[in-house]
Amino acid sequence: MTTTSATKGEQGVGDRSRGGVVVELVNCRRTYGKVQALDGFSITIAPGEFVALLGPSGCGKTTVLRAVAGLEQLDEGQVLVGGDDITAVPPHRRNLGMVFQAYSLFPNMNALENVAFGLEVRRMGTAQRRKRAGEVLELVGLATLAERYPHELSGGQQQRVALARALCVEPRLLLLDEPLSALDAKVRAQLRDEIRRIQLDLGITTLFVTHDQEEALSMADRVGVMRAGQLEQLGPPAEVYSSPATNFVAEFVGSVSRLPGVVVAPGSVDVLGSRLVIPASAGGDFGRGSHVDVLVRPESIRIRPEADGPAVVARAAFLGAVVRVVATLPDGVEVTSTLPASEGYTLPAGTRVGIELLGDVLFVVDRQRAS
Amino acid sequence: MKRSRTFRWVTLGLLGFYVIAPMAASIQFSLEAGYKGRLSLTAYSRAVAEPGLGTSLFTSVKVALGAMAITLVLLVPTVIFVNLRFPRWRAVLDAVSLLPLGVPAVVIVLGVLGAYKGLPSAITGTPVILALVYVVLAMPYSYRAIDAGVRSIDLHVLVDAGRSMGASWRKLFTRVLLPNLRSGILAAAFLTVALSLGEYAIASIMGFNTFPVWLVGVEGNDPYVAVALSIAALLLTWFLLVVLAFAGSGRRRRSSGAFGTGLVGVEAEVQSAAPSSVAIAMAGEESGGLV
Repeated sequence: MTTTSATKGEQGVGDRSRGGVVVELVNCRRTYGKVQALDGFSITIAPGEFVALLGPSGCGKTTVLRAVAGLEQLDEGQVLVGGDDITAVPPHRRNLGMVFQAYSLFPNMNALENVAFGLEVRRMGTAQRRKRAGEVLELVGLATLAERYPHELSGGQQQRVALARALCVEPRLLLLDEPLSALDAKVRAQLRDEIRRIQLDLGITTLFVTHDQEEALSMADRVGVMRAGQLEQLGPPAEVYSSPATNFVAEFVGSVSRLPGVVVAPGSVDVLGSRLVIPASAGGDFGRGSHVDVLVRPESIRIRPEADGPAVVARAAFLGAVVRVVATLPDGVEVTSTLPASEGYTLPAGTRVGIELLGDVLFVVDRQRAS
Repeated sequence: MKRSRTFRWVTLGLLGFYVIAPMAASIQFSLEAGYKGRLSLTAYSRAVAEPGLGTSLFTSVKVALGAMAITLVLLVPTVIFVNLRFPRWRAVLDAVSLLPLGVPAVVIVLGVLGAYKGLPSAITGTPVILALVYVVLAMPYSYRAIDAGVRSIDLHVLVDAGRSMGASWRKLFTRVLLPNLRSGILAAAFLTVALSLGEYAIASIMGFNTFPVWLVGVEGNDPYVAVALSIAALLLTWFLLVVLAFAGSGRRRRSSGAFGTGLVGVEAEVQSAAPSSVAIAMAGEESGGLV
């Protein structure tokens, strides 16, 4: 199932579209031996929009990016950039900028030469390209390190130079292939903000591939969740998080507790003694008496100490401002809740607790199908 | 800790003695030139005046440079292409490259003459054929040097990055790949040159008067001159190695990781490839096992 929120996404882009072009992938297929990497994948990205493709390893997200870059040939389908069909255009003629997961700077060139490489290829004069490369290095905050070689730069600095190199040629589209995954958490957060700032400044259409949902949700205008070569859902981050289109999206994005429930009336389910409303977007129609699994976000579950409560705290993980508490019900079902750190401290493992559901059902799935 | 350091120095000392002692004896042998206890450069001055030195040396250098050029033109793109597109073929290429080590010189000569007999005499009747043979002979070393260089860089990422930046294959080769493979390419070039300059058996069987072949001829008349020339050749080879090491260290300053891998085994190879080793051994036998 695929839902698109192009209208919302395009509204979000607004006047940022000045530097971007529309990008379309139409019914793309790619097979490696018996593995179907892309299976009828289609997407439309608005001018200046930042779209993140999110999915587990092997879902085909990198294949999408490489197909757009021309580094991978499609078996079927079309890639259109700014209305031009570039499916058969060789990679060096596509005028796209790409930042890779691995450090990809040319070791024999310093930062400035790396950034200017694309212009050198385009036969721009030495003085002119050095000036332009200097400007782009300044944009990524590395003007003072222009003469340094890649091995003299930190991982974060190398990826910034790689970003500058990709941007220097004023590409029609920016492709980011997990550029932050090799960096430590702090640098990753900094660079994440920086990439987004630059993208907004330039208004360049950007396709970003990641397996890190926090990155995808925090950076993108729209997030596409992929599975087995197909797009499961495409929409603004909040929509993907709070109204997942499929069971897979619900479980892949964010964390959920899977709780047993019984449908007591159309659109109404009993879970752990609470009666909850099933939103229209939360799954199929279930008849009265159906046994279902109800997916609930940790923030929709409240765990509190209760001497005769039905569950026991199994473990608690300190996450800074909040504590993630996992409690186990008598039948072995695990319930996860995030609590403010001050509350979480009072719930060490072994504490008997009560569980309160705050009413937000994320998704409902047939128990038999689920099992 | 102290014991391990002592062990290290003793091992290093023994190894040094094993390598240096024969050379020191050769130098002494050439400087004494038959007059025990009296050192002079007589053998060296006689060596320079020896007829045929220039011609044979010129032939050897021509053949060595030719073999080097063919090796690089043939192997560098092949190894890059195989690593990039057909990594599974690496094992096959690896095995094929080792074949020359297991085939005797006579068999190689007969095989080459048989395989190339249809070629024009401008190839089969000139040292060009020798250069072709040396390309094959050096392959176990040259292939490994280039392959090690290719594997020490992130080939796929560099190629993808270059292509996505708009670089054509030619630009990618000249501006990105070749500079980053410099140490591997230099090592392969050096090994091929060293092996070609020192090869005796095949050149002799095929009837070419290369430097080692000429040297063995001289050795029959004047062993002191032969050893003097061997020492000079050995020093020349070492000089080449030092030049190579310096050329590579410039690269190392600029880039971490890739340098050095291509030089694996170069030093050991110098011992067996230099023309000096042939003549020194022979002269040693002639002069009562001095060396």
